[in-house]
Amino acid sequence: MSQSLWQSVLGEIEVSVSHATFMTWFKNTELLENTNDSVTIAVPNIFAQRQFEVKFNDQIKSILEKNGVTPSSINYIVKTNQKRQSTSRETTRSAPITSAADRLVAPIKTKVITNGLNPRYTFKNFIVGSSNDLAYSACQAVAKNPGSKYNPLFLYGGVGLGKTHLIQAVGNEITTRDPDTTVLYISSETFVNDFLESIRFKKKGFADKYRNVDVLIVDDMQFIAGKEKTQEEFFHTFNALHQTNKQIIISSDKPPRNIPTLTERLRSRFEWGMSIDIQMPDFETRCAILEAKAAASSAEIDRATVEYLANSIKTNIRELEGALNQLLAYSEMRGVPADIAMAEGLIGNVRRTRPQHLTSKQIIDRTAKHFQLTSAEICSAKRDKHIVTPRQIAMYLLRSELHLSFPKIAQELGRKDHTTAIHSVEKIEKAVKLDVLIREQVAELREKLYV
Amino acid sequence: MEVTVTQENLSFALSNASRVASSKAGLPILSNILLRTDGSRLLVAATNLEVASSHKIGAKVIKPGSLTVPAKLLSDFLQNLPKGQITLTTNGAKLHIKADTSSSTINGVDDEEFPELPVIDDKKAVSYSIASDDFKQSVAQTVIAASSDSTRPILTGVYWHSFENNLYLAATDGYRLTERRIVDTASDVIAVIPTTTLQEVIRTLRDDTSEVEILFDETQVTFRLAEVEITSRLIDGNFPDYRQLIPATSDSSFTINRSELMRTIKIASLFARESGGGITLTLDTDAAKLTIHSIASEVGENSSEVNVTSTGVSASVSLNSRYLIDALNAVTSNEVNFGFSGKLAPCVLTEAVKDPVYKHIIMPLKS
Repeated sequence: MSQSLWQSVLGEIEVSVSHATFMTWFKNTELLENTNDSVTIAVPNIFAQRQFEVKFNDQIKSILEKNGVTPSSINYIVKTNQKRQSTSRETTRSAPITSAADRLVAPIKTKVITNGLNPRYTFKNFIVGSSNDLAYSACQAVAKNPGSKYNPLFLYGGVGLGKTHLIQAVGNEITTRDPDTTVLYISSETFVNDFLESIRFKKKGFADKYRNVDVLIVDDMQFIAGKEKTQEEFFHTFNALHQTNKQIIISSDKPPRNIPTLTERLRSRFEWGMSIDIQMPDFETRCAILEAKAAASSAEIDRATVEYLANSIKTNIRELEGALNQLLAYSEMRGVPADIAMAEGLIGNVRRTRPQHLTSKQIIDRTAKHFQLTSAEICSAKRDKHIVTPRQIAMYLLRSELHLSFPKIAQELGRKDHTTAIHSVEKIEKAVKLDVLIREQVAELREKLYV
Repeated sequence: MEVTVTQENLSFALSNASRVASSKAGLPILSNILLRTDGSRLLVAATNLEVASSHKIGAKVIKPGSLTVPAKLLSDFLQNLPKGQITLTTNGAKLHIKADTSSSTINGVDDEEFPELPVIDDKKAVSYSIASDDFKQSVAQTVIAASSDSTRPILTGVYWHSFENNLYLAATDGYRLTERRIVDTASDVIAVIPTTTLQEVIRTLRDDTSEVEILFDETQVTFRLAEVEITSRLIDGNFPDYRQLIPATSDSSFTINRSELMRTIKIASLFARESGGGITLTLDTDAAKLTIHSIASEVGENSSEVNVTSTGVSASVSLNSRYLIDALNAVTSNEVNFGFSGKLAPCVLTEAVKDPVYKHIIMPLKS
């Protein structure tokens, strides 16, 4: 009752004063007591108390009267969250803490509220497929034994493949297992900003914030590149944490050695623990993701439509989800179930952002350029090693992206025999699974093709 | 409004108030300074909603009135004016400042939006009068141990409390702890004052102010220094029960000249940078010698020996030299007493007198 009364007072005041004024004074206020002749309102501090007494009293009184409450007086009191302690001398704690810890006062573990994690990201709702199962298992291992298994854990992979989801899931899992663990999730940008601020305003507490945690999770590490002083600070933070066996988890869009202008000592440290890449999800994983998402928003969607979506958007899970959301919203609005025809109409919009037609010539040209060769060299009869691998990759891409027939592939690259093409495609298919270098190059090339 | 004041008075008030005025708060008017006539005086005030600083300076009030103007601009402007008389007049929301040779106009904002300054009820409040030298020293001695970790706000303040009929100040960041006894008291006080507020009071305190009046109530504290009044909120929460952490006795202790110990530790700290400032003190009670040792694998090492008056058993302890230097700076006497019990128990540094008023506790480094 009193709460809704105060709500209506706040509502009316909000429209009559500026937003800044409202936020400054009326945030964290509440109506404590409403008897017939007096109303008590709790305010957060002494400044607000005085401000209410002098400036807002008349306004509040008249709004209250409009709502049928006519108090003869309104009291404003400063509400403290905790009861102030009494002056009693007895020592309640019997066990002396002196011998136990090397700190005078055991630090209170900061609660989940400040750790920056989004509770939505959990292991449960992460879809595992062949492209990310290694990363998934590593993350689970870390969540079970933070600080001892893989430290640091370095995840890298393209945009929208689930890095953030995974590393946040680790943080969430750790806090559910042991609520006393301090987890801090930040983006590298936050780290940079905090650092700059600590220099600019000579603020203290920077080291305290980052070095007193049990698990430090840094997202999008690549943005630290080129910022030398920050890298140095991160280096020290890293050492302080690593030496005391605190878990460090880092994500980036590139492997450590490919981040330009990353100092050598950070690079070597990042490669120290475990670095795992997250690949683009395969078709089945994409279908599973779509189905899980649709189930989460309790919508039904038939298999054909799911497959159509999964086929249309291959490189980015965020886009995939976007398309699904769009489809579901559209079907809800129209009141008809989602089907392929509707999806086709909508996906058109999504796909237009990517080149619609990828030609074999583009693939060959881009592959050649990527390896600093000319298209002529790739298509020539030369069998030098530095030309052969790129040629095989080009064939693989022609097969995987354009689904060309083997004879056609052979022809595009100036080969006579289509078995060459079969061999090449098979070879790269295998290499992608086994050879990190090839896998990265293929992934990078795919990115380039679809930009 | 039309008033005449001296440059010295106004400039002093402005430089103090403008430090408080905040530029980044959500409310733009908080970066302004309030000028308001108050009887035959001019009130100069600013607040950032944590602390408010208000000055009343003598003025010749020709026409009462009030206005708020950007703090930084006005303060910088006043600082550069020559000494002498200044006339301030308002015209709508404009402030005209006329000095000897220059005159200028600053755009201000009506004072209607400026927050009301909190007032403390003298009758309900517990009040103390403390000699300003004593106040300055006590605060300086305690704030050094206050934490800067904003995740534990309670430790970012200094704990003022009454205990066994004395008023005590205490602060800790978990690694060290300071405690200072100030005055006798009959009333009960419990308050945690933000470090920033105390530093502001110290900065504002002029040499010619002999006494500081402090008033506490449940939620706020006010410092009165002659014509200046600084009011601040208190930090919410319970300060740790630190008293049980101060060791009553020490197994080993020594007494030494403060500057001699300081000099020796500064030398040792040169070789302690690599190990996070760690130095090792070894006391030999039979020979009455203290050895201070530090080592840096890449630079070299240092070992110094000094004669001390010692009691208890021979033992050694590792400490952060920076904390020890801070502690020695805070102690005022010529002779200091240092007590410790083994490698892990807290160390106590005090003045070498009976019943010292100041205690500085440092936790040893684990090594």
